Amino acid sequence: MRTLGEYIRLYFLIESQYIKGRMQYRADFIISSLGMFFSSLVTLCIFWVLLQSVPNLAGWSLTELIFIYAFYMIAISPMQILFDHAWQIRFHIQQGSFLKYYFRPLNMMFYYMSEMFDLKGLTQLLLGIGLLVYASIKLNIDWTLIRVMLLLITLFSAALVQISIIVAASCAAFWVLDSYPVLGLAWKLREFSPYPMTIFDGAFRFAFTYVIPIGFVAFYPSQLFLRPQDVSSLVYFSPIIGIGLFAITYWIWTKGVNSYTGTGS
Amino acid sequence: MRGYLAIVRGAFMVGVVYRFGFLFTILGNIIYLGVAYYLWHSIYQNSETLHGLTFNETFLYVGLGSAVFILLKTYTDWFMNFEIREGIIAMYLTKPVDLGFYMLSVSFGALLMNMAAITLPTILLLVFVFKVQFAIGPGLFLFPISLLMAFMVSFHIDYFVGLLGFYSESVWGMSMTKEIIVTAFSGALIPLQFFPAAIEKILLILPFQTIYHTPLMMITKPNQGWEVFVPMLMIQAIWVIVLFVATRLFYNRAIKVLRVSGG
Repeated sequence: MRTLGEYIRLYFLIESQYIKGRMQYRADFIISSLGMFFSSLVTLCIFWVLLQSVPNLAGWSLTELIFIYAFYMIAISPMQILFDHAWQIRFHIQQGSFLKYYFRPLNMMFYYMSEMFDLKGLTQLLLGIGLLVYASIKLNIDWTLIRVMLLLITLFSAALVQISIIVAASCAAFWVLDSYPVLGLAWKLREFSPYPMTIFDGAFRFAFTYVIPIGFVAFYPSQLFLRPQDVSSLVYFSPIIGIGLFAITYWIWTKGVNSYTGTGS
Repeated sequence: MRGYLAIVRGAFMVGVVYRFGFLFTILGNIIYLGVAYYLWHSIYQNSETLHGLTFNETFLYVGLGSAVFILLKTYTDWFMNFEIREGIIAMYLTKPVDLGFYMLSVSFGALLMNMAAITLPTILLLVFVFKVQFAIGPGLFLFPISLLMAFMVSFHIDYFVGLLGFYSESVWGMSMTKEIIVTAFSGALIPLQFFPAAIEKILLILPFQTIYHTPLMMITKPNQGWEVFVPMLMIQAIWVIVLFVATRLFYNRAIKVLRVSGG
């Protein structure tokens, strides 16, 4: 077994090579970052347009929605930046090139995901941080040390929830030939996580809280900072939810990896 | 012409192979419809009509919009980018087909498949689950014509971006930017009436609104006079012609710089 320290060192080594390679295509980096910039703001623009017609969305003001949205952008960034290779699993499996990941004395998920580092995702992360600062100033949020700690813990948990959903969906490729529809669905669900969960009721609220808990990617944890007085106690379980989900995803991944038999070529 | 019909049929059959995928697309659409329902419900909490649209009309617009969205997304640019990278594009150039018409036929075949597999089920859902009411009027009869022109506009924008791939391999950024511009400016997610007046005016001049806003308004508010519908169709027709000619001219330039390795 390798230690965590070794893995971290290895990760930096792999990524620095990868980034050097990617930086040869500077124009691609700039155009991709621009695409990322626009695509990460779509839902926020919807909120903005809607709030031109009504004063608030289920009681949430535009600035509060910006805060939730910024939290969401930061929370999904680790998935975007570190786990972007999840999208390629289906190609590797169809073409048989997935076999090479079995032949290294490394954790397979680590080795597989480390092969890609999505530089354009940094745009989203920086934009999210910028918007979070902007919204906090406008909302007069007092960033005490405890709040900062809470923010880091909830962001970590939220990131794990998002990573788990996408990686688990991409694992469908081990059992069905084209996992794109499953991933597409998971990707679409991601877009709903910055919505105030209070607009939903019945099956939808239940599903977004307990079944595919996208509510924990942004809305529930943001409440800790926006309206601490009426925060649901569920939020305090978010680290457990994040780690638990990731454990399930890792189990699915292991199952998938063990059941894959190659293409025969 | 017969050759192209075979291509349309082939693209349709490819869709049949991926039946499994449609289940998830429909599931995704059901969830989207639910989210949109709740979102607009909370927008309409305190008002009967906003910008001249009732909740029923707006939800019909948005719900149908999601079905039309899947229908008109041709993915031509992503597809072409893949074929340029893999060198497959060279194969088309050796065949006696026109690349533009070839891609159009493929997209049209996929459109037919999507119509049967996704759009019709979504409309049934809207009617029977969400109990959306359809108004009757001449707009309903013009909708198919308008939809066809919307497809032509959508396709030619995608094809244009696909041709840009002849110049640069960083198509992800270009396609993504295009996708966002089309999604945001076409009224695919929100009826254009909801935009601030100044922005709405600009959006009505651009070609993007002819993809979603024009056909969707024909269904949402079908009982308007011809003086409303005829100019809408004219604008669509003009954009179809402009974009068709523009991509033709652009193809003639772009084909000269295409370098294919492998294949």
